[in-house]
Amino acid sequence: MRKIFNLALGIVTSIGGFVEVGSISTSVQAGAEFGFSLLWAVAAATLFLAALAEMAGRVAAVSRQSMAAAVRERFGFHFQIVPLSAELVIDTLLLTAELGGAAIAVKMLTGIDFEWWVLPVGVLGWLVLWFGNFSVIEDGIGLLGMVTLSFVVAAWRLHPDPGQVVRGFAPSVPHHDVTRYAFLTVSIVGATVSPYLLNFYSSGAIEEKWSQQDLWINRSTAWLGMGFGSTVAMGCLVTAAIVFGPQHLKVESYEQAAQMFVPVYGRWAVALFAVSLGIGCFGAAVEIALNAGYVLGQSLGWTWGIDRKRRDVSRFVTAFSVVLVLAVAIAALGFDPLRVTLISTALTVVIMPLVVLPFLVLVNDEEYVGRHTSGPFGNGILATLTILGALMAIVVIPLEVFGG
Amino acid sequence: MMDVARDVLDTRVVDRNGREMGRVDGILLDHQTGRPLRLSAIVIGPAALGDRLHPAVGRIVRRIEQRFGLDRNRPALIDFADVDSIDDKVRLRLTIGETAVDAVEQRLRAWVSRLPGAQ
Repeated sequence: MRKIFNLALGIVTSIGGFVEVGSISTSVQAGAEFGFSLLWAVAAATLFLAALAEMAGRVAAVSRQSMAAAVRERFGFHFQIVPLSAELVIDTLLLTAELGGAAIAVKMLTGIDFEWWVLPVGVLGWLVLWFGNFSVIEDGIGLLGMVTLSFVVAAWRLHPDPGQVVRGFAPSVPHHDVTRYAFLTVSIVGATVSPYLLNFYSSGAIEEKWSQQDLWINRSTAWLGMGFGSTVAMGCLVTAAIVFGPQHLKVESYEQAAQMFVPVYGRWAVALFAVSLGIGCFGAAVEIALNAGYVLGQSLGWTWGIDRKRRDVSRFVTAFSVVLVLAVAIAALGFDPLRVTLISTALTVVIMPLVVLPFLVLVNDEEYVGRHTSGPFGNGILATLTILGALMAIVVIPLEVFGG
Repeated sequence: MMDVARDVLDTRVVDRNGREMGRVDGILLDHQTGRPLRLSAIVIGPAALGDRLHPAVGRIVRRIEQRFGLDRNRPALIDFADVDSIDDKVRLRLTIGETAVDAVEQRLRAWVSRLPGAQ
């Protein structure tokens, strides 16, 4: 019974924790600029994420090693330093963007400039990490995140044409702005399949002491949790498509994005959008900072774990604190949160092969997964998609950034 | 025959009481003319990792450790004679306290412990 409860909680918190600054901004822009036609990208990215998360959980449950630890052991430090450095840089950028997103949400509620809120949001995040345990962080934030279902409710109440929505799940090439379309596709994949999510998921499996008996919980949480969670991102895209699409608006700020709630929620629109954005971003910020501690601790062989006494894991708590301070410092230099988000999510796709390909080797190594190896068919598809995605990102990011 | 790179380097190290000590960050080989190479010590510490990347990186890490007064006996060199067994972990006959492996953790602990909620 307890396992069923844990499974249900895991699925619910995956839904609540699915959207953050990256998925909200990419979905809003995709909906506003290309209608429903990028729904397929959200669906494909979600399948990709669920497959990888299931593998991360499987390696952790069988080998009792997180992703970062297993990669260090299997491939050595010489190899690991490259994905580790890339992931830390992108995580810091993404953390900056999440803090910015949460600060903008507070700005929408208070009217005071978002720059003033980055530091308080960072301090609040650190307090949650310092005083919370894994269950408070994972479940508490996930449950609060259920407010993001307001995106699904909004889409439902706007009565989208079912035929058009279904057509959105078939990949197509638009008649205009092909580069922008490709860039948004890459950004949607990057926002959905963040490397931090995978390592965080496998670290959670270790924190919750999963074993081989929990593989079915892992499978259900990964596929159902991520699957249902993606409906929030899809709700966001559909709402933006219906509200902004006819006006051919290019959404350039979160304040502008909040207007998509007006036809459904009236005078509560901005507040509800702000709360959804704020909780989504704050939860992701806490998880990204925590993951920086995980990934460093596991790679360098420190004692780690958010359920341990802080004095017993001093290097681990110092690591997540330093990364949080660094992100607040970058934010203090002044930045455009929406732009940082889009660039960091697109860059994520560039480094994806470094994260995914070694991982595919691990899930076929009996030393790490016993008899639960993956089949060559699924692996082949994942490897091909990863490399294609990275090549596409390398082409479209310069075009988007330098205005080609 | 043992494959040092695969079986020892980067493997987890635990002390006599099963306490985690980190990973094998480097190894020291003993070379005597006419004899095969012999593994003489395992090395634990970020400076050893730095050395593996480039000697200059190792020097930078050592300088940082010096600045914090952490250079004594670091990186920790553990004589191979003190290795009890090697399976999925390298198991030592020593306790962590008999080495300098924990110096950074202890230094940070002194600061971290002052904060409320750390105990």
